[in-house]
Amino acid sequence: MTDSRAWDADHAVEELYAAHYRRLVRLSVLLVHDVGTAEEVVQDAFVAMHGKWRGLRDPDRALAYLRQSVVNRSRSVLRHRGVQARYVPPSQPDHPSADEDVLAAERRTHVLEALRSLPDRQREVLALRYYLDLSEAQIAEMLGISRGAVKSHASRGVHALRSLVKDAS
Amino acid sequence: MTDYRDPDDERVHDLLHDAVRDIDPPDRLDSIRARTRVRSIRRRRTWFLGAGAAVVATAATVAGVAVVGGLPGTDQAGGPGFAGGTPGGAAGSTLTTPAAPSGSPTEPAATDASSTAATPSSPTATAEAEGGTQALPVYYVGETSYGLRLFREFHRTQLDGQDPVSAALTQAVSTTPDDGDYRTDWPEGTRVEEVDVDGSGAHTMVTVHLANDGVDLRQRPEQMSRDQARLALQQLVYTAEAAAQSQLRMSFVVDGEPADSVLGVDTSRPLKEADQVDVVALVWIIDPPEGARLSAPFTVSGLANAFEATVHWELSQGDTVVKRGTTTAEQAFVMAPYEFTVKSVPPGDYTLTVTDDDPTGGTEGPGVSVDTKSITVLP
Repeated sequence: MTDSRAWDADHAVEELYAAHYRRLVRLSVLLVHDVGTAEEVVQDAFVAMHGKWRGLRDPDRALAYLRQSVVNRSRSVLRHRGVQARYVPPSQPDHPSADEDVLAAERRTHVLEALRSLPDRQREVLALRYYLDLSEAQIAEMLGISRGAVKSHASRGVHALRSLVKDAS
Repeated sequence: MTDYRDPDDERVHDLLHDAVRDIDPPDRLDSIRARTRVRSIRRRRTWFLGAGAAVVATAATVAGVAVVGGLPGTDQAGGPGFAGGTPGGAAGSTLTTPAAPSGSPTEPAATDASSTAATPSSPTATAEAEGGTQALPVYYVGETSYGLRLFREFHRTQLDGQDPVSAALTQAVSTTPDDGDYRTDWPEGTRVEEVDVDGSGAHTMVTVHLANDGVDLRQRPEQMSRDQARLALQQLVYTAEAAAQSQLRMSFVVDGEPADSVLGVDTSRPLKEADQVDVVALVWIIDPPEGARLSAPFTVSGLANAFEATVHWELSQGDTVVKRGTTTAEQAFVMAPYEFTVKSVPPGDYTLTVTDDDPTGGTEGPGVSVDTKSITVLP
């Protein structure tokens, strides 16, 4: 690894892409559900980060910028779609002998759908807290809300998600 | 990995990780690279796109002047009504400059990537005067009897290679207008950091990157009304259209992030110009500008949307009207150019007032539209 302070914008994109692209796409999938959209969101974030590199200059700050950018862009994509996904409880599988893979895939879909039915803030806090393992302080800073608000979104989100997923299983 | 004390936390952690475990996006580094390259080129190219768009508005050169800026909302395709949309024919004007030789419409480099590194050449419809300064159109907010409206000033500006659109937008948000009756409502410290112009689609798309270290520009400041906020955004749309001489759609990036709202106004979809009648003052004096020093005879020109196209003017000192007259705008009920000449008036400081004709006599209806300028008539 070269001295990160000497990176130019192109180099920063390459390094951060290699280290974080997949994880950021997954983060965005948790927020927008749709993989294609998530890929676009994350690519847009990288393009924006490239433009901002002169002001960032530091991989940690650039990563924080990318995360924030992915969260904001995901939120704005949802808003553009205009329709808040309503949670539709999955029908009971009528083929109980379905194999392990199918069950796992269904479970994943249920979780993503349940996430989509939460309010924006709850969904974001859950993804940042439990997928990226960020601290309450980091989340508060990124979302521009208080730590208390992070705590309460997290606990409501956990509660809501648990009951939605319980319904489904 | 974080240690969760609560089994619920642990469970959510597992659920989320599991939910996206099988997502393995294909490699897209090349497409990101391609776009960051395009972005760098496009930023350099903005200037040329502005110039290319200007070619459409040849009316400005037909009118015999070369000033940046038409009037948004008029039929810009070069109809005769628009020809005077620039302060044309203002003899002795301090702002207009003789038309530059018309550039060939095939000349603009907007589609020619190879010339992006070249120094901008003089585009057709911009006022490239001696010393490399241009008269940029900049809209500001002013009070009228029917509420806040936009007025336009021309600011002589040294561009130094900056494109006219971002230069004009920068002035709109941060520069004090010449006329003390006008103002900008953008929060102090607002900057235009970058302007991307994309002329590839059906509409020219302009993305304005705004920043402010003190306040969040997405929110409407407490002391700002909703109408003020809307007008502040229209101020930018009108300014950019006048500078680009092209109708356009505008979207915003605030502090580096695409903004769904600016000053509390929904910008999730690109903004277009609002109806002139709702945002633009109905009478403007374009020339002479505020504070002009000139000698008689001099010509006053401007735009008015006046009942029966009649425009009244007067020159006054304090309460004393020294001279008054009437003239006719070229058309009624649209913003149309008017012009009159003051043949002789004693030297001194004056207030020049132009108003539309008020068909109701001022007792009802929206009232009279007025624009005033302080001028000095030299011996």
